[in-house]
Amino acid sequence: MADVKAPVRPALAGPLREAAVAVARHASGLRVILRHRTATVGLAIIVLFIAAAVLAPLLAPYGPFEVVYGPDRGVVRLSPPGAANWLGTTNQGMDVLSQLLWGARVALAVGLLSALGSVLLGTLIGLVSGYFGGWIDEVLMRLTDVAYGVPFLPFAMVVTSIAKPSLALVILLVIFFLWRTTARVIRSQVLSLKTRPFVWAARAAGAGHGKILFLHIAPNVLPLSFLYIAIGVQTGVMLEAALSFLGFGDPHVQSWGIMLNAAFQAGAMRSAWWWVLPPGLALSAFVMSIFMLTRAYEEILNPRLKAI
Amino acid sequence: MTGFRRYVVRRLLLLAFVVWCILSIMFVLFQLLPGDPTAIFVDDNFSPEMIDRQKQLWGLNDPLWVQYLRYVGNMLTFDFGNSFFQIEPVAHIMADKVQNTCLMIVPALIVSVVLGTLIGAVAGWRRGSAFEQATVATSLFLHSVPSFFVGILALMIFAYQLRWLPSGGMVGLGGPEGLWEMIASRDYWVHLLLPGLVLVSREITGPILLLRSSMLEVKGSDFLDILRAKGLSEHRIITHATRNALLPLVTYVAVMTGLLFQGQVLLEIIFAWPGIGRELVQALNDLDYPVAQAALYVMALVTLLLNLVADLLYGVIDPRVTYD
Repeated sequence: MADVKAPVRPALAGPLREAAVAVARHASGLRVILRHRTATVGLAIIVLFIAAAVLAPLLAPYGPFEVVYGPDRGVVRLSPPGAANWLGTTNQGMDVLSQLLWGARVALAVGLLSALGSVLLGTLIGLVSGYFGGWIDEVLMRLTDVAYGVPFLPFAMVVTSIAKPSLALVILLVIFFLWRTTARVIRSQVLSLKTRPFVWAARAAGAGHGKILFLHIAPNVLPLSFLYIAIGVQTGVMLEAALSFLGFGDPHVQSWGIMLNAAFQAGAMRSAWWWVLPPGLALSAFVMSIFMLTRAYEEILNPRLKAI
Repeated sequence: MTGFRRYVVRRLLLLAFVVWCILSIMFVLFQLLPGDPTAIFVDDNFSPEMIDRQKQLWGLNDPLWVQYLRYVGNMLTFDFGNSFFQIEPVAHIMADKVQNTCLMIVPALIVSVVLGTLIGAVAGWRRGSAFEQATVATSLFLHSVPSFFVGILALMIFAYQLRWLPSGGMVGLGGPEGLWEMIASRDYWVHLLLPGLVLVSREITGPILLLRSSMLEVKGSDFLDILRAKGLSEHRIITHATRNALLPLVTYVAVMTGLLFQGQVLLEIIFAWPGIGRELVQALNDLDYPVAQAALYVMALVTLLLNLVADLLYGVIDPRVTYD
């Protein structure tokens, strides 16, 4: 699937040079991606979201739970978009624009943490499982089968309603759900990689299991891991939004899913479109921008996917 | 064929193992609940003897491993006990809700697969055409946009703004009751239209993209040249090619149905569709744990069984697959 190239003279190259080669390869990969039009658009949107998340404290006129008071000292409830509140207010008198900006932080944090966690876990399990084989492989792969058998949303709903809902728990659940795909894909890559001559060469040169696994095989599966980090960010954000929308999110943070849940509960779909559309559109734009990026990456690896 | 038989046995053993693991995880989860089930009923008027009698009745005084074995036995025989609040055995509630969920996803799946196959096959055949480009772009868009937001949008536009369609439920108040009566009624189809279309808009993208790429593969095959040499019309050749390109779709549909069964909780909530996902959400909110437990188990089981079907069909429909 991936264009894994055996590094030149890996057994002789030092680890530093190895790393430099790997980095250079990925940098050129980025250039290839930027030549893709949709990927560039996706990347631009992502950068926009990152900026919004980082600058939220400066940009947001109000805090995530701050109530807006009018000149008459009354709470400004369900006010349509206007000069004072660009995207209007909620039924509790909170500024929608501010919630949206703060929500970008949550989305980014959830996406990145769950993606990094799951890919790290999945890559490790895939590497070990594929490299060592035998009973280790058997145990780890049956574990993967069990993880595949657990229905995510229902399971996550049960767990969060038994434990106290918190963002950390949501992230852990997403990691629990996501690692399995990475593990399987990485394992199958390792199965083919470990029979390549450069692995024999490394072994002949006296490299131990750890060195072969992490210095010689791991760099070759990294491009795939990167792909799964991107996919993981997308899935993680979607899952957090879905879980929060269903009412099982962390009530102490303001995420897009929590916003949608509150709007849905309050019947804003009937009366206050300005409260429903911003979080929904932000979520869609974020998820789709990452999809555009990963799709371009996959199209580069497999040109058949592309419609010419 | 022995290789296939060995594969089937191995696959069934794996299924049993995974089901056992999931049951055990669930047992631990529901053990972790604060307090025991009596806590929900018992108020200060209950004497300690009454509480104890109730515990005795429910087997809560037995050692944990006895409770575990009984629990596994009950789950495997679909004996889910009684709901805390609805005066009905949970098994009946489950059967009812699974049927309702199927009433939403089965029609949507049929439309998605039939229509998606046609569109995907034509797109793959006409590689490079404007039709292919438009199809792929639209499919990717629909595939990546979060479907529950599409549902919310559809509801806002067609139910609340335009008032063309009902905003939720499976039938209107006082609507038809029995399964066949319902399917025959206009009321059900009117209620199905909006959630059904939202579901189709997402699920159709799978068959389209799959058929397209598998068509590209089939298109290069030698047997098509022979058909061409025989002088068959373009239309007949597409039919032959599609039949071969369909193979991967069969397994895909089985897996997709399984995922849909657990993933459509969101649409059931948005459209107030009384399916199993909505039942789980309500049971968790009401602390009706027997119902929640059963719903989680049934959803996992359906997915696992459909995955099994997918794996087994794979070998049956494509004779080129070997298991030795």
